[in-house]
Amino acid sequence: MLRFIAQRLLVTALVIAVTSVVAFSLVHLTGDPAVAMAGENASPEDVEAIRKLYGFDRPIWEQYLTWVARFIAGDFGRSHYLKLGVGEVLAEHIPVTAMLGVLALGFALALSIPLGVVAALRPNTMIDRLALWIAVAGQALPSFLFALGLIYVFGVLLRWLPVSGDTTWRHFILPSVALGYYATPAIMRLTRSGMMETLQSDHVRTARAFGLSRWRVVVRHGLRHAIIPVVSLAAVQLGFMLGGSIVIETVFSLKGLGYLAWQSIQRADIEVIQAILLVIAAAYAVLTLVADILNAALDPRIRIG
Amino acid sequence: MTAPPLLEVRGLRVEIPLPGGTTRPVRRVDFSVAAGETLAIVGESGCGKSLTSLAIMGLLPRAARLTAEAIALGGRSLLGLSEAAWRRLRGERIAMIFQDPMTALDPCYRIGDQMTEVLRQHRPVSAEAARRRALELLGRVGISSPEQRLTQFPHQLSGGLRQRVMIAMALLCEPELIIADEPTTALDVTIQAQILHLLAEIQRDTGIGLILISHDLGVVAGVAHRIAVMYGGEIVEIGERDAILGKPLHPYTEGLMRSIPVPGETRRGETLGFIPGTVSRQAGELTRCGFIDRCPYANARSAAGAVPLSPAPDGRLVRCVLPLDGSGRDAGAWTRLVEGV
Amino acid sequence: MAAMVSTAAPSVAALSPGRVALRRTLRHGSFWAGGGILLVILLAAILAPLLTPHDPTWQDLGKRLVPPVWDTRGSWEHPLGTDQLGRDYLARLIYGGRISLLIGFVTVLISGAIGTALGVAAGYWGGRVDLLINFILTIRLTLPVVLVALVVVALVGNSLTILMLVIGLLLWDRFTIVTRSATQQMASREFIVAAQAIGSSTGRILLKEILPNITGPLIVVASVELAHAILLEAALSFLGLGVQPPLFTWGLMIAEAKNQLFFRPWLIAIPGAALVALIFAINLLGDAVRDVTAPEGRA
Repeated sequence: MLRFIAQRLLVTALVIAVTSVVAFSLVHLTGDPAVAMAGENASPEDVEAIRKLYGFDRPIWEQYLTWVARFIAGDFGRSHYLKLGVGEVLAEHIPVTAMLGVLALGFALALSIPLGVVAALRPNTMIDRLALWIAVAGQALPSFLFALGLIYVFGVLLRWLPVSGDTTWRHFILPSVALGYYATPAIMRLTRSGMMETLQSDHVRTARAFGLSRWRVVVRHGLRHAIIPVVSLAAVQLGFMLGGSIVIETVFSLKGLGYLAWQSIQRADIEVIQAILLVIAAAYAVLTLVADILNAALDPRIRIG
Repeated sequence: MTAPPLLEVRGLRVEIPLPGGTTRPVRRVDFSVAAGETLAIVGESGCGKSLTSLAIMGLLPRAARLTAEAIALGGRSLLGLSEAAWRRLRGERIAMIFQDPMTALDPCYRIGDQMTEVLRQHRPVSAEAARRRALELLGRVGISSPEQRLTQFPHQLSGGLRQRVMIAMALLCEPELIIADEPTTALDVTIQAQILHLLAEIQRDTGIGLILISHDLGVVAGVAHRIAVMYGGEIVEIGERDAILGKPLHPYTEGLMRSIPVPGETRRGETLGFIPGTVSRQAGELTRCGFIDRCPYANARSAAGAVPLSPAPDGRLVRCVLPLDGSGRDAGAWTRLVEGV
Repeated sequence: MAAMVSTAAPSVAALSPGRVALRRTLRHGSFWAGGGILLVILLAAILAPLLTPHDPTWQDLGKRLVPPVWDTRGSWEHPLGTDQLGRDYLARLIYGGRISLLIGFVTVLISGAIGTALGVAAGYWGGRVDLLINFILTIRLTLPVVLVALVVVALVGNSLTILMLVIGLLLWDRFTIVTRSATQQMASREFIVAAQAIGSSTGRILLKEILPNITGPLIVVASVELAHAILLEAALSFLGLGVQPPLFTWGLMIAEAKNQLFFRPWLIAIPGAALVALIFAINLLGDAVRDVTAPEGRA
């Protein structure tokens, strides 16, 4: 088991390293960053000044290594627009996105898992079809459209919930639903198929043969096994949500990482952009690693081998 | 016999409707089991013996249809029971042991947890009392260092030990009847004998009824009191063990006996007998003997119509058109059949 | 006398697997439903000039924000009303589908080509090639797609070509995964080994033996990624970094109408409904093909 973790850690580190190269290249090789940062009305002298200030005149590999070295040391760069350290700026914005991601995932799980279990218990009935239809509908609805729809229904028509800002917990309800529902079809399908398979297994048959209650059979002996792949999927979906939060945060005016990324892109705040790219990518890589480890830890058969 | 049998099964039939038509894996089964008695149900795979046991427990798959004139445990009918009523019966008054103890036990939970879970489902006992009872039974089935075993996971035990644990679980609530479906098939030959010996011992001590299901006549020969031989979804011979083993009357039983090596008699290098062919499915009601395709003595009467169970002089029941005193069988017929293949 | 147990199955004139699949597809409900909707949208997009007399980019500032015909103040002259700049909404809806579909198909071609090439290579040669491609795949999966697309488009420029290239270069991952596993299953089959034994060139094997046999899963993935591409473009346009005026897609129409959500929700609902219908239809089609070619994969 320890070897397994060590191996995966190594791969993850490698992935993050290469991703950092890609992120850096994206930002520096797709145009002239000095020009972009200086803005439209800048004079050639301004552009040159920026170039010197940020070291854009150095060879590209040197710039990259400097960036990495500083990053590891804790210096994440400097926001050109905000005149603050990138680390500070990130620290302000990460909590909102983290909160949003976790709540969105929570919503998705709370909706999909029971739906998947019930659909598996009654295959080919009304409720099974309803679950599958929800899944199909979920995949066809773009998140920004769903977000707008939620705002209209709950914010305008019913006036139950706030639709902008991030001050109270209530502000997170609609955004979490809008971000989380997209993961619902995949989780529901996986739960359903996993449950259907598990309910046929020998140990569930034993549980029933010994007269255990419905709940114990389905949940303790059934779901316990079927949920294992779902845990990995959930971790991966969380990674997607972190990357995809930009749309939701913009619509709901939540000052999170995605919102910051959006603004930084508009302002060509290069250092911030590449830091965010790396942070989100690293988060996804770590989440995938966690998913793999959880998978191994929860499945008793893998644990021994 | 003055006391009512522990388990009575009459007219049990299982059908499975499929898109191509309805199959009938169990055509008609009648038998009874008395307290303190071991009935062995023997037959090759596909003969319907497992489905019969699942039917008795109410565990048939959703698609299967069960009909029966009577299935009664201790006089109380088991037909048409609600799921809630079944949950009270299973594990409490009637328990089942399955073939493969590795997959039958849940790999995610410790032995102790699985055992106490069953006990506390049926009895209002404390966790501590349940644990003590589990320890007691682990000792009863011959498991050494039971305290340690309680905390272990199924994969940490050998096959034989796991099966002992299953037997212990079956005994937790002191059931009246235990059904063991191929309990030794997945185990080593040496362990097989131990497990069967254990089951026989428990029966002697507790007086429970025991149904042993197996495809191997040799395995159950030592512990059964009565034997029921199944073929093609029906019982073809049922009676006292010594009578059947001493002189099998149904040709299928004969064939089964011939394929068992006999210590002291079977010579080294001698080919064991076997029954050529495989089970063929006849759809709908039977219009002739079900064994006709593989029988060495088949004749015109076998094809004349469905064959009913008839009593033989020694009291057993046999489903055959041949004379039930054992006459009228050509000694070389089996050899010709086997060599003709 | 022992009876011989008959084991010979009667021989049936066998249809080619392709024809069998085609037959089953045509019987599948989802195929007709999805195909039908998609066909309507396609035809509407192609026959746009015939369906509406209005020019979708012509602004009639005197007639701004006219409601659709079902509202009391609407009229049949503008059946779906007009937007903030007085442009006929029905015309914009019909023409808007054109760019969405164009982007969708072109990007799927690009990502499909890249992904299939990588996937087949990984599946056929295995070993180090497989490891390398897997690593590239992992890198691609680690990058947040929307963010990367936004960054590149913001820094490089916003033409339609660049947009399609960016999306096409980002969405090849699932193609790779699916074609890789399909190829792996194929590569060990007898007819492949036979072809190798008689000395067929690798290119020939790939083209004539492997590719035709993975079309089933390939079509399914293509449908998924088509939907994905259209949704990504819609999201980018919604954020303002997708297609730029005077070009427009449904995503951009929704973005432009964002501020009207409270008072004139139909401006968002109409292109929104069209978008949902399109994605829904594509998904149904994909489901139908998947059910026909690989029913075991069904959840």
